[in-house]
Amino acid sequence: MINVLIAEATKMRRSLVLLVAATPPVMVFALGVLVVASGNAPDSWTMHTMAGSAIWAFFLLPMSVIGVTALIAQLEHGPGTWSHTLALPVPRWQVFLAKALVSLGLMALVSVAVAAAGYASAMLGLQLGDEVVMEGGFDPSMAFKLYGKMFIAGLLVMAIQWTMAMRFRSFAAPVSIGIGGTFVAVAATSADKGLYFPWLMPVNVLASESGRGDLAVLMGGLGGVLVFAIAIAWLSRRDWG
Amino acid sequence: MERLLPGMTDTVLSLQGVTLQYGKLTALAAVDLAIPAGAIYGFLGPNGAGKTTAIRCAMGLLTPQAGRVLIDGHDLSRHRRKALASVGAVIETPALFPNLTGRENLDITRRMLDAAPTLVDRALELVDMRDAADRRVGHYSLGMKQRMGLARALLAEPRLLILDEPTNGLDPAGIRDMRALIRALPERTGATIFMSSHLLSEVEQLASHVGLLQQGRVIFDGTLDALSEQQAPRLLVTATPADDAHRVMQAAGFSGIIRDTNRFTLTDPERVTPERAAALNAALHDAGCQISELTLDRADLETTFMTLTGHAEAQP
Repeated sequence: MINVLIAEATKMRRSLVLLVAATPPVMVFALGVLVVASGNAPDSWTMHTMAGSAIWAFFLLPMSVIGVTALIAQLEHGPGTWSHTLALPVPRWQVFLAKALVSLGLMALVSVAVAAAGYASAMLGLQLGDEVVMEGGFDPSMAFKLYGKMFIAGLLVMAIQWTMAMRFRSFAAPVSIGIGGTFVAVAATSADKGLYFPWLMPVNVLASESGRGDLAVLMGGLGGVLVFAIAIAWLSRRDWG
Repeated sequence: MERLLPGMTDTVLSLQGVTLQYGKLTALAAVDLAIPAGAIYGFLGPNGAGKTTAIRCAMGLLTPQAGRVLIDGHDLSRHRRKALASVGAVIETPALFPNLTGRENLDITRRMLDAAPTLVDRALELVDMRDAADRRVGHYSLGMKQRMGLARALLAEPRLLILDEPTNGLDPAGIRDMRALIRALPERTGATIFMSSHLLSEVEQLASHVGLLQQGRVIFDGTLDALSEQQAPRLLVTATPADDAHRVMQAAGFSGIIRDTNRFTLTDPERVTPERAAALNAALHDAGCQISELTLDRADLETTFMTLTGHAEAQP
């Protein structure tokens, strides 16, 4: 299984996947520097961390998931290598599990990079801006918990997008689902039923209402594991004509 | 149907009653094939006959509704990993990861096979691609991709090498090189080769055995010699004046006459015999015809193929 995992990770070398994965932290960093340096910094480090994670949860996380999962799937769809990969004497579930783990691993790295970019942007912004002050200090454990919970709550969205990307050769299906889901999440953020909407689960981590964030982590995490498991079993058994 | 040459006692790949339907469309109808060890097996058929579908069934990428596939004695549906461990394949295009080098492409497959790293260099050497191994595949020509695809298929040290249209899209020099490479592989690697092709001349030059597929049905499975014997002999005559020669042939009782200006092909199996050919020669001479060719031969593979698949040339 380790060999299969390394093989799947190697396929990303010099590919567009890494460029797409690098985009969110760069954007968060650039935006953070501009906001802080221009004197529009939040009052405190806590607010700054929350603001950065909100942008991540609402927009950049779902967009990154669309890009990363679709491009990882396109590594096989594009050159038509599925026939070769799936005709190897390797259990197919291992191939798909490795692809899922590579996707999740990359998204976890992007999450960490975005959190780090938020911190770095504030530090640079404070240096560049005139008399800009933010109360308190950066709390790494708070940032780690926040982004960690968002990652777990986002597992269901990742599983849905990954399954669509693996199943369909065209970009159209996963991208349409992803854009649609993100739009609904933005438009209906505070809706009661939003509690059960996969694209709102990472956002709900920020909710002030008691229990809403924990429920989002629980449903997103368990739902994601379940959908990944079903998808891997299904993709392993289906014909690849 | 003849299946084995003398000395070939082992069947590497066997399709037994393989049937595959898409709704009401029958893609494969009870396909039986037996690929003997050591053979170069040419798998022929018109476009849409089901060749690639049969290959996909043989690789476990499609699941037939009936029948079974045996590779090296292992039932593919029950022992997939053991069965596929004996196989290397290039299916349709030589699909490689264009963002990676040739060596990286091979190394990915090597890792998945859990094979020794030295096999990468061996495979590169077999297809003469060591010099280009560290260049990105995206910069390769089609011929180089075909070779690299072949190298990847050889990584498993396969007993059976499945090549789907291996010369497709290559220029004449590329076709010649690939043909030479394929011809040398059984001796250099010990692999049996099962290759599909729409180039009849290619199969004729390479294959020891042939399978013909027509609308999902096997219409021939045997040696190349046995295929040639499927076609009745024909008489090729070039004579002038052509109209007079035509009348003489009709008067002599020949019915299957294909005429192309002053060149005639006589295909009546009952009458194309050495004795009748001699009698026709005399009759044409007596009628004052000039005969520049009178040859009794067997049809080439293309004619045989066209006849068997129901695409025999029409009379002009």
